Amino acid sequence: MKSPESNASRWSPVARGCASVAILAYLAAVIVPPLAGPAPASELANRILQPLRPLVGAVYLGHGYRFFAPNPGPGHTIRWTMTMPDGSTRSGRIPDETLDRPRLLYHRRFMVSEKISALVPLADAPADIRERAKRDWQPLVKGVATNLLRREGGLSVTLETVEHYLPDPGEVLASGTFADAVTPLGSYSWAEPQR
Amino acid sequence: MTTVRSLPVRRTVSRPAAQPPAPVASSRGWLAEWATAWNAFWFTPADPLPLAVIRIVTGLILTWSCVVWLLDADAFFGDRGWLRPDQVWRMNDQPWQWSGYFAASSPTMIRVVAGISLVAAILLTIGLATPLAALVSFLGLVSAANRAPLNVFGLDDTLGMLLVPLVIGPSGARLSVDRLFAGPGRGRGGEPSVRASVALRLLQVHLCVVYFFSGAGKLFGASWWEGTALWGAIANDRYRTLDLRGVAGHPLVVNALTLATLWWEATYAALVWPRLTRRLCLAMAVLVHLGIGVAMGMMEFGLAMIAANLAFVSATTFESLLRPFTFRTPDSPDTLSGTHSDHP
Repeated sequence: MKSPESNASRWSPVARGCASVAILAYLAAVIVPPLAGPAPASELANRILQPLRPLVGAVYLGHGYRFFAPNPGPGHTIRWTMTMPDGSTRSGRIPDETLDRPRLLYHRRFMVSEKISALVPLADAPADIRERAKRDWQPLVKGVATNLLRREGGLSVTLETVEHYLPDPGEVLASGTFADAVTPLGSYSWAEPQR
Repeated sequence: MTTVRSLPVRRTVSRPAAQPPAPVASSRGWLAEWATAWNAFWFTPADPLPLAVIRIVTGLILTWSCVVWLLDADAFFGDRGWLRPDQVWRMNDQPWQWSGYFAASSPTMIRVVAGISLVAAILLTIGLATPLAALVSFLGLVSAANRAPLNVFGLDDTLGMLLVPLVIGPSGARLSVDRLFAGPGRGRGGEPSVRASVALRLLQVHLCVVYFFSGAGKLFGASWWEGTALWGAIANDRYRTLDLRGVAGHPLVVNALTLATLWWEATYAALVWPRLTRRLCLAMAVLVHLGIGVAMGMMEFGLAMIAANLAFVSATTFESLLRPFTFRTPDSPDTLSGTHSDHP
């Protein structure tokens, strides 16, 4: 009688060789993306990444794994004010902890404001930097505006990103009030009338 | 008066003069050692029980994640959602980051794709048609993550890391409906296998890579060295679900928690392998990830990371933990008496 560790459960040298190649390819696809980004990253890592991009993309491995690094930063929300077809206005924020439940839904919406805010320079940044960055964030903000207008049935919406002030322990002990940094993201309306 | 002490004399043993090994033979021996160690690490059959436990936890989290995707499917995957399909390239590496949702042109089709993913996640959890369920679950996860890059975060990265080993290994061989359906006396696939070994090893190594880069990234940050980084998480009202601002008056507590987190994460990849430090590493992992879950409202992410850490728990441990809850048939494999590798 064969034991559980019989030869049937072991792989031939050829099978082990093929599996080893696959394992090495997978490990390369795991290790190289976080070496290649986010910045700072080397040119060498980026070159090694190029032939791996199909595999990395196909199995969803293009991650940097820099959780709360290099420093935990402030949180961001996107505030919106919408004009409705009857002329009234409606306002809200993304995410909204009172409306966005369950908590995982809140986090999925929170990522919208976090990822867009990461692309938007603060309002007091030099004008040329703000203008250059606009090319990156504005198409994404248009999507946010489109989604809000679709969901709420509005005519136009004005958006702004809010960087919530991160108080230090002394400020919390002093029970002070803190000013958040607000950066306008523009106003958006339907290009064509909606039915 | 001067005293003279006798110095200890090293005893020498006369040996035959050893010939230095020839360089070629030496490097061949070194390579052979590498090959042997590689084979032992990856291809020693392992009990699939840890993989089955990871499958159940992952399946539950993935099922919940699919439900949440469905709660706002049009916003996540629709043409007029958070991110239009033609703008996805701004955040992804196209065309490699494929998605089934790119072919879903109507709200109905979007719900069909999301629904298939949900059903697959449920089947994965209970272990019915497990190999197919694991594959479809993985495709569903990647489809969602690649179509909605504005909405993904560490949870999705972690679920991807967990699902690949579940696709590769016999994750339905234990604790599954598949297992119940296989009649007694027939080969039921619950025995130690090389596929289980490869799957668990991949997850272990991947997890070490995650912690290494996460820890290394933190070493760039002044607040981690100063021991104040955890305050940044505590004071961030966008994440906060548990108000811990009371620790503002106890800076040394914040220092200790921050530094413990930093050095645990930075050294995890080295200290999780030796038996002496493994339990400490895993205990810290549970504390840190539950802490993130409770205090920052990211329980799904915390549980997914804990699920990944289960790859370092041996089958023997699971066997003893599950013994009171399992009905054992005479032909059930007994991992305690096996000579296979009891990972890690």
